Amino acid sequence: MDATLLVPIGLGITVIGAALGISKFAAAAAEAIARQPEAADKISGVVQLPLFLLEGVAILAEVFIFLMLIL
Amino acid sequence: MVAANTSNNGQSVLEQVGPNIIHHVSNSSKEHPIIKIPELFGIDFSVTKHVLMLWIVAIIVSFVIIFPLRKYLSSNGKVKSKWVTLIEYIVEFVKDSISRPNVGQNWVMTWTPLFLTFFFFILFANGIGMVPIFDTIGLLDRFIFKTDSHSTINNMLHGGVTATGNFNVTAGLATVTFFSIIIAGVKKYGFIKHWKNLVPHGLAWPVYIILIPIEVMGLFVKPFALTMRLAANMTGGHIAILALLSLMAIIGEMFSSAAIGIGVGFISVPMAAAIYGLEIIVVLVQAYVFTLLTAVFVGMAINVHH
Repeated sequence: MDATLLVPIGLGITVIGAALGISKFAAAAAEAIARQPEAADKISGVVQLPLFLLEGVAILAEVFIFLMLIL
Repeated sequence: MVAANTSNNGQSVLEQVGPNIIHHVSNSSKEHPIIKIPELFGIDFSVTKHVLMLWIVAIIVSFVIIFPLRKYLSSNGKVKSKWVTLIEYIVEFVKDSISRPNVGQNWVMTWTPLFLTFFFFILFANGIGMVPIFDTIGLLDRFIFKTDSHSTINNMLHGGVTATGNFNVTAGLATVTFFSIIIAGVKKYGFIKHWKNLVPHGLAWPVYIILIPIEVMGLFVKPFALTMRLAANMTGGHIAILALLSLMAIIGEMFSSAAIGIGVGFISVPMAAAIYGLEIIVVLVQAYVFTLLTAVFVGMAINVHH
């Protein structure tokens, strides 16, 4: 079997991981805002930065997978 | 770009769509620059498509942001157009919710101009990628002007228009971030103290053997991650749209029937339009993210938490 066939599977696993992480963030933020609606601004500020870092990791993995496919 | 590239050289559709997509998102090749400039000091200064787009973005930012603000400032804040009010809202947003919480009250006025420059430049460079200027020119050229394949118009059609989708452009922007992190630390603590701040003080010495390489690596990973995030996000959306649109050609050829291709178009065109809508959000968010992360990294160099 050609090894590059496995690369899209890696992409799928990456997407699953990122989706789990982002959904945990969203769930925790929604719960926290529901409990304390007046702190919504602060909570979303705290959630944003790690969210973007997580997104960056997923994007990096996708870039490397793409490079593996074309190189 | 799909319209400009219809000579099929005896290849099947499946062999053509991949190169076509790559062709759309990449820069024009060095062999077909828009303006050919001879090499100076061994460096090729020819104006390729992304260089041209960078200049166009710079001109647009000047006319849309800088000149109205200069006019407003030179009238001592008396003549205020609606447009300046809108810009002021964005400037306040960057200053109050990106710059101030991260770099701290004392350094807001030092670093906010840099963040604003990043924000507006990346916003316009991203946004112009969503406007199909050159694809429209290509369409007009194909059906109305009908120039030959080596005319100026056809040379301009090589490559995509999103300058921030090019890793070299974002690497250049991230280099600015890299040096501004160092300058921020040096300005506050002095040259020697800034590098000492890289690692926490007062740990047992074996810890430093692990910690110092990690922190030095982190110094380079931060701008690298910024480079990759922006360029990959801008490239990824275009690839997704083109891949969905290419499904029409691929499935049409697989079943060798134009009707099936058109039928697939009824699904893939609305999906591409939906991704296009998503891309408008991504354009805004990525400009915000790049600015925010630059602010966070600069703030980390200024307010050291160890």
